[in-house]
Amino acid sequence: MTNHKFPQTIAIAGAGLLGRLLAWQLQRAGINITLFEAGSFTPDAPQSLRAAAFTAAGMVAPLSEAVVSDEGVYRMGIFALQQWPTWIAQLPANETPLFFNNGSLVVAHQQDTSELDQFERELGFILPGCKGYQHVNQHEIHQLEPDLHSNFHSGIFLREEGHVNNREFLRLIGVELLKLGTTIREFTSVEALPGKIVTDSSEEHFDLVIDCRGLGAKKQLRNLRGVRGETLHVETKEIHLRRPVRLMHPRYQLYVVPKPNNRFIIGATQIESEDRTPVTLQSSLELSSALYTLSPAFAEARIIEMDTNLRPAFMDNLPKVTIVDGLITANGLFRHGYLLAPAVVENVLAHIFKKTDPVFSALLNHH
Amino acid sequence: MNYNKPEKDFTLYGETFSSRFLLGTALYASPQLMRDSIIQSRCEIVTLGLRRQNPANRDGDAIWQFIQESGCRLLPNTAGCKSVKEAVTLAEMSREIFNTDWIKLEVIGDDYNLQPDPFGLVEASEILIKKGFKVLPYCTDDLILCKRLLDVGCEVLMPWGAPIGTGQGLLNRYNLRTLRERIKDVPMIIDAGLGAPSQAAEAMEMGFDGILLNTAVAKALNPPMMAEAFGDAIDSGRKAYKAGLMQKRQTASPSTPTIGQPFWHQQ
Repeated sequence: MTNHKFPQTIAIAGAGLLGRLLAWQLQRAGINITLFEAGSFTPDAPQSLRAAAFTAAGMVAPLSEAVVSDEGVYRMGIFALQQWPTWIAQLPANETPLFFNNGSLVVAHQQDTSELDQFERELGFILPGCKGYQHVNQHEIHQLEPDLHSNFHSGIFLREEGHVNNREFLRLIGVELLKLGTTIREFTSVEALPGKIVTDSSEEHFDLVIDCRGLGAKKQLRNLRGVRGETLHVETKEIHLRRPVRLMHPRYQLYVVPKPNNRFIIGATQIESEDRTPVTLQSSLELSSALYTLSPAFAEARIIEMDTNLRPAFMDNLPKVTIVDGLITANGLFRHGYLLAPAVVENVLAHIFKKTDPVFSALLNHH
Repeated sequence: MNYNKPEKDFTLYGETFSSRFLLGTALYASPQLMRDSIIQSRCEIVTLGLRRQNPANRDGDAIWQFIQESGCRLLPNTAGCKSVKEAVTLAEMSREIFNTDWIKLEVIGDDYNLQPDPFGLVEASEILIKKGFKVLPYCTDDLILCKRLLDVGCEVLMPWGAPIGTGQGLLNRYNLRTLRERIKDVPMIIDAGLGAPSQAAEAMEMGFDGILLNTAVAKALNPPMMAEAFGDAIDSGRKAYKAGLMQKRQTASPSTPTIGQPFWHQQ
């Protein structure tokens, strides 16, 4: 270690969402950053070389995600709704909007409305007294999303939800890192050790190493596993959605997220498997039939991409930040990458800059 | 006589268990919550599905190991298989991966309510039993289907209470009673459709030998607590069956004069 109060050189292993955000914020603070990435750094790389952050739909949905996790995830998610606009304002002006905050809509077909009741029961259990949602009837659904199929009679509108135009954000932050002078070492698999990065051919020393390799850190992190997720990208001018729509079904819960340029992502399956091979026919049927029932006008949408990736998750499906001298490990964001990255990044930064009482310490640093 | 003596008379394919509760491992919010539920349930057999996990490449290894660490006997299932061939192939793969010849056989006939295909089920059972499997078939409550399954060599039957994941309870008590009365000496486990511990207790009181469920626990607001509740109800129902329920009485119309009331005032 140096005599400086804060580290002067930091290596970050993994250029996914966490790695990029941390590199960006630390480089802006004047620290010398070297960013290592086992796959490709550029967004247009082949799927198999891309971080999970590129496959994600970029939802920031504290309420709907609380239902499948807990109240801590909700609190970190509410923090994210404030943090994303703050970060985006730090980027140079950009034509494409990067963050949307129009809430989200949960619907179910009439024969599946008990799924809506179950959703609301779980929400009420995890967040007692929560006021962030309201029931909507057929007419209100039509007002919120005129292009949805008219046969949805009841739904739940969640006001406190948004989504990131994630691929564009990842691209822009990449450009920004190059501009700021971050050293980027792509196609380089590493081992992240305290104060040290080991590659196939070298051993390099840094004041601090931050390991955010996602599933790439599986060998080091006990009980880290990959959870397969599959998405479908379609393009159509026939439908406009103002916000993400989630379809509840007894067998699967899928959402469609509108993206700029008439694109939509429908996702994502959740399969307990570390299989990264292409989308299965079964999953493509589930994804496309969910999309089709949301609006038959999707029938003529063009499928422009099918993507598969592995969400890094610990056995409780909750994120963890561990700190030892010279090494910070942040991992396990599971299906909540864009929802939880702000809390995780601010927590890591607080530790690096030795702030008292780092944010969400009780939720993230407890193991 | 020791009234609290733990029973050790639940035998499936020659193996004896002290818990009559079999738990599924799907649908939990996290693997940790699943394992906490297994522990609270006190179950000794857990069932798990591999169909969608690319088992040929063993891509589900991380979660399988975690389930295995629970110490329970693993009962792989063929959930999601819609044809005999699919189910047979998956059963063979499961045997290889988990080193067990036990299989919870599901051949699904309807994609929406996941109702068993009875014809495919008998055919797949016969094939698998010939290949040395110990088949635990997920079936409907149809007596003839159950007899056919016994004919091809099944030594356990797992009739449904209601379709998978519905939480409707015992939908056809008449059929279930018929099954129990007609097939006395084969272990029968009520598999699927239960939503509340009282329903599990009722099935046990009727003389069924065990309960297999998943959704009722996994989708409870507090799954480990619900697992414990089901465990208690199953024990309780079993005890009640062994103790012998009293016969219900009809007191709407008295058969003998009521004391203290002159007989000429009685109707």
